[in-house]
Amino acid sequence: MQTADFTALTPLLLLAAAIAAVMLQIALKRSHILTIVLTLAGLIAAMLGVLAVGDMPARQVTPLVTMDRLAFFFIGLILTATAATALLGCRYWEHAVGQCEEYYLLLLVAALGACVLAAAHHFAAFFIGLEILSISLFTLMAFARRRMASVEAGLKYLVLAGISSAFLLFGIALIYADVGSLAFPIWTARLQAAGETVSPLLLIGMGMTVIGVGFKLALVPFHMWTADIYQGAPAPTTAFVATVSKSAMVALLLRLFAPVDFTAEPALFWTLAILAFASMIVGNILALRQDSVKRILAYSSIAHMGYLLVAFLSGGPAAIAATVFYITAYTITVLGAFGVVTVLSRTDADADSMSDFQGLFFSHPWLAGVFMAMLLSLAGIPLTAGFIGKFYAITAGAQGGIWWLIITLVLTSAASLFYYLRIVVAMFSPPLENKTQPPAAGISYSGGLVLTVMTVLLIWVGSAPGPLIDLIGRITQ
Amino acid sequence: MNVPLTHLLTLAGGLFFIGIWCAVTRRNLIMVMLGIEIMLNAAALAFVGASLRWQQMEGQAVALFVLAIAAAEVSVGLALIICIYRRYRTLDPAKVQ
Amino acid sequence: MDVNDPVTSIATIWPLMVFLLAATGLVIVMIGLSALLGQRHWQRTTGEPFESGMLPTGTARIRFDVKFYLMAMFFVIFDLEAIFIFAWAASVRQLGWFGYIEMLIFVGFLLLALFYLWRVGALEWGTKR
Repeated sequence: MQTADFTALTPLLLLAAAIAAVMLQIALKRSHILTIVLTLAGLIAAMLGVLAVGDMPARQVTPLVTMDRLAFFFIGLILTATAATALLGCRYWEHAVGQCEEYYLLLLVAALGACVLAAAHHFAAFFIGLEILSISLFTLMAFARRRMASVEAGLKYLVLAGISSAFLLFGIALIYADVGSLAFPIWTARLQAAGETVSPLLLIGMGMTVIGVGFKLALVPFHMWTADIYQGAPAPTTAFVATVSKSAMVALLLRLFAPVDFTAEPALFWTLAILAFASMIVGNILALRQDSVKRILAYSSIAHMGYLLVAFLSGGPAAIAATVFYITAYTITVLGAFGVVTVLSRTDADADSMSDFQGLFFSHPWLAGVFMAMLLSLAGIPLTAGFIGKFYAITAGAQGGIWWLIITLVLTSAASLFYYLRIVVAMFSPPLENKTQPPAAGISYSGGLVLTVMTVLLIWVGSAPGPLIDLIGRITQ
Repeated sequence: MNVPLTHLLTLAGGLFFIGIWCAVTRRNLIMVMLGIEIMLNAAALAFVGASLRWQQMEGQAVALFVLAIAAAEVSVGLALIICIYRRYRTLDPAKVQ
Repeated sequence: MDVNDPVTSIATIWPLMVFLLAATGLVIVMIGLSALLGQRHWQRTTGEPFESGMLPTGTARIRFDVKFYLMAMFFVIFDLEAIFIFAWAASVRQLGWFGYIEMLIFVGFLLLALFYLWRVGALEWGTKR
């Protein structure tokens, strides 16, 4: 390894150093505030690292990872989302469990796993990153150990992630047996060269890999426990799962399949297209029937992964840029939405049922406004980031000529307005008489900071998307 | 006198299906974890077989990672199962919900 | 030498065959002779695990303290980390000093984790301070 390799790895090295520092600090002297400061310092240092080295030419460091602009962009996104989760967690964890310093430690470890996943260039790096992320997530979900729903969510995610990892691994092993290399580019080249005559080993391996990725992105036939997990997990963790683990998986999807020409690979195209179609339809239909806000957001996340796949599958020149833009807009929006849920949560339970949000406008007008903006962005109303994301996805799809997927996207988005507006209507209707008010302790500074930043970003990206589009354009050349 | 790849892959595939069967049908959380472990180990075996075919070390390295990660996963799983058992006094996933 | 040729393969593995036969024969002789020559009795306490010793009480299916599970988990994790050290040891000369430093960092992280476990009291058997 040379100095340039270490330079390229700066963000990951800083993150790993932060993990060691936080662990040492907890071992020596427990202090919630000190842990938060160290965590944020580590995250900010890693972000500065991204800014410092993000513009250098792509460099492959060892056979395992490639640090190119795409990787740096996703690492930046992951670090931002992690910092937002940590800030949201400050007030939330203060009284929820006895000792909560480990939450930040696990959060950093999970972020490191996601960053490795985003930069992976080799199946070994991919698997290690994925498992570092998943194993930390089980614990992050079960962290509110006095609430049984939280522990159950952790265990369910563990079973689900275990089975999907096994599928992925077995698929990768079969592909390795056929191709003879674990490096991504060789595998993609082989897939390109094979065309329509794919050997059975490669075909089965690919099928199992798609099943594994489908589980991780919660696409429709593999979405069984998503709603339970989103509902049961503590709200900051849910925000983290919905943003960090999804964006890391999307980065991987781009690396694996983006060089593949979908017109030459009808089997792969149709598999992913049917997954996208089913996710859009089923996700939205199931969301219509829910009364729990966290479950609605869970099903809407399934539908959103379907929309994202439409952008990805378009295969035109704008496909990659549209996908990256979509996941960025989605991350901003979901962090804001779950941020509101976190801020409103009490120590014994999260704000979840419709009645928790009824009359929010009269007690916390500011919060109600933020939540409305986030919901409208999820629905894809103009002047929000979500609208530009969807617009971009539709444009890319039109260039690729996949009209039936675009029509599904438009129709299901229109239907989704119904359940988003239901929450908005609940917020603006008069408060329930017999309801125990959530503590009027007010919003913590940290939570308020996160919500302000996310709202500003949402409106900024929604009204003037130029800079972000330019940035993504430079990344995805 | 190498074992042919097809034999190894057949063995690994068989193990994998036993694992799925165990993870999906058994009514005990410990057995579900056991099923997942069997699936992961089947994948590790397939990796070893594939690396034998290409005479590379890469696949064997991945098999080592699989072992270590499976251990970490099962530890976290056991901790959660103990948590569940303390509350519900049962390990039947159907009764836990 | 062709190992697949039956003649040469028997020629090379005959010591193993002899050893196998000798071992089996020894066991047969030991059990057979004691069965033929030994005396037998069937009395009240013959069937107990420790004849004329302590009487076993309770069942074998007792509940273990949860600390046993905790120790077992730590053991499994730290034990499996050792496989990476073995993999490094097998190729230590090719990896050189760079590999040595990498392994030091790895072991350092493991030690840090152990230190953390010790400080949070996870290694203590009695009640927590």
